[in-house]
Amino acid sequence: MLTIKTIDDININERLYQLNLGPQHPSTHGVLHFLLTLDGEVVVKAEMLIGYTHRGHEKMAENRIYEQFYPNTARMDYLSGMIFNTGYCETVEKLCGIEVPKRAQYVRVITSELNRVASHLLGIMDFVMGIGAYTPFLYGWDDREQILDLLETISGSRLTYNYSRFGGVRVDVDQAFCDGARRFVDRLRGRFKLYKDLITDNIIFIKRTIGVGVISKDVALDYGVTGPTLRGSGVKYDVRKNEPYSSYQDFKFEIPTKEEGDCMARYLVRMAEMEQSLNIIEQALDNLPEGPVRADVPRFITPPAGDCYHSFESARGAVGYYIVSDGTRIPYRIKVRAPSFSNLFVMNKILPGHFVADLVAIFGSIDVTVPEIDR
Amino acid sequence: MNTSYGFKEYVKDIFTGSKSLVIGMGVTLKRLFQPIVTVQYPRQKPIMTPHFRGHIEAILFDDNKSHHCVACGLCARTCPSHVIKVQGEKTKAGDKKYGKKYFIDFTKCSLCGLCVDVCPEKTLKFSNEYELAFFSRWDGVMDLMQRLEERK
Repeated sequence: MLTIKTIDDININERLYQLNLGPQHPSTHGVLHFLLTLDGEVVVKAEMLIGYTHRGHEKMAENRIYEQFYPNTARMDYLSGMIFNTGYCETVEKLCGIEVPKRAQYVRVITSELNRVASHLLGIMDFVMGIGAYTPFLYGWDDREQILDLLETISGSRLTYNYSRFGGVRVDVDQAFCDGARRFVDRLRGRFKLYKDLITDNIIFIKRTIGVGVISKDVALDYGVTGPTLRGSGVKYDVRKNEPYSSYQDFKFEIPTKEEGDCMARYLVRMAEMEQSLNIIEQALDNLPEGPVRADVPRFITPPAGDCYHSFESARGAVGYYIVSDGTRIPYRIKVRAPSFSNLFVMNKILPGHFVADLVAIFGSIDVTVPEIDR
Repeated sequence: MNTSYGFKEYVKDIFTGSKSLVIGMGVTLKRLFQPIVTVQYPRQKPIMTPHFRGHIEAILFDDNKSHHCVACGLCARTCPSHVIKVQGEKTKAGDKKYGKKYFIDFTKCSLCGLCVDVCPEKTLKFSNEYELAFFSRWDGVMDLMQRLEERK
């Protein structure tokens, strides 16, 4: 029998309803499923359901020799594949005690920083496009295209580079690459004003980002957030500076931080970080030493029994590789600590109280790569 | 939400909003008179760099007018996706083995370049082809030695 309720009879919990955002949603950067509990338009509770692109990279590592894991590393975070690739090689070199030539280290720094700039450009432009600005996106991708072309001339690939090898890099850089990199640095420095005009000073962008999605310092530290998201909350932590690896100690660069912790702060930190990356690239190009780009390593590497942890800064935060070797050519275990995982799940804490439309802004400003979470 | 949003802020927002709109339009307008940066693909083909990684290809050497493959199978063993199959042949006992058939399944290849790195005879390279879409799965399986014969 139908009972008609008055407005006073409605239980508060019955007003809530659930909304599935994703897994096939244009703003979720891949396949990520948000299960939102909404009160009207306000998020009460948010659940992130991951695992749609799980490929078992860590398990695959246990069934193949160390060299055969190269292609997997770039496919975890496909936007900063060069950094992941280089980091894996550095971990195995640390485990084996291989000394990498100075020139190879510098080339790794240059290519990693170029990749970081490309990743930041994509992250920012995707964020901006997510909240409705389509024009800056095209300019950003024009710049990113220059980096991809540049990296293609040495590695032969545009996204999954496979450029680093144990003990160095695959192909030496030539003069054309160095000139191209310098041209790119000058070009991007000239473009920052355009981005300021189009994005930073835009009233819609300002209204949608300032004060939205504030991650306080304590929350960020509690959830293990790293990378630009952590630096946007005012914590000065960068693996490149705090635990220098691969001759990052030779370069002078700043760690940009912002105290606000909102979407705007994270965006500004990324922008400032791109400028710092350009500084690093310029210094590395100026002081590029001569010499070999690959140490004398055996064709198939056999690390001694033991374990090794190596941490490095990808475009999204601190990545860690933990390799356990049992003295054979096949790794016993490879564990990857991916930054996107902890960066994503801080949204559990900060989303309640925001509008659904703000979710897109917050998610874009955190800049998550889903295949890296799922692995 | 900002509670102290009065008439003054409202007018100020309209003013700054119009200003940023004009600036944004100005950027677009300026772009209109600059050259096109995109490649008009089917009519205009991009030039690939020498290091571009298409599928692998056997190198044609001048000294024996053929490849240098000795069918050692290192590439097949190193391949992470197991897409390479090499068949060697000896014409008579005591002769050196040479590669007769070299199959790759390009549909599964991840283009890591380990086979090119590991080859002891340096007879493999990456091709410069980039239009690598197929209509069926078997179109991706190719015999490199046959392709080499066709190139001669």
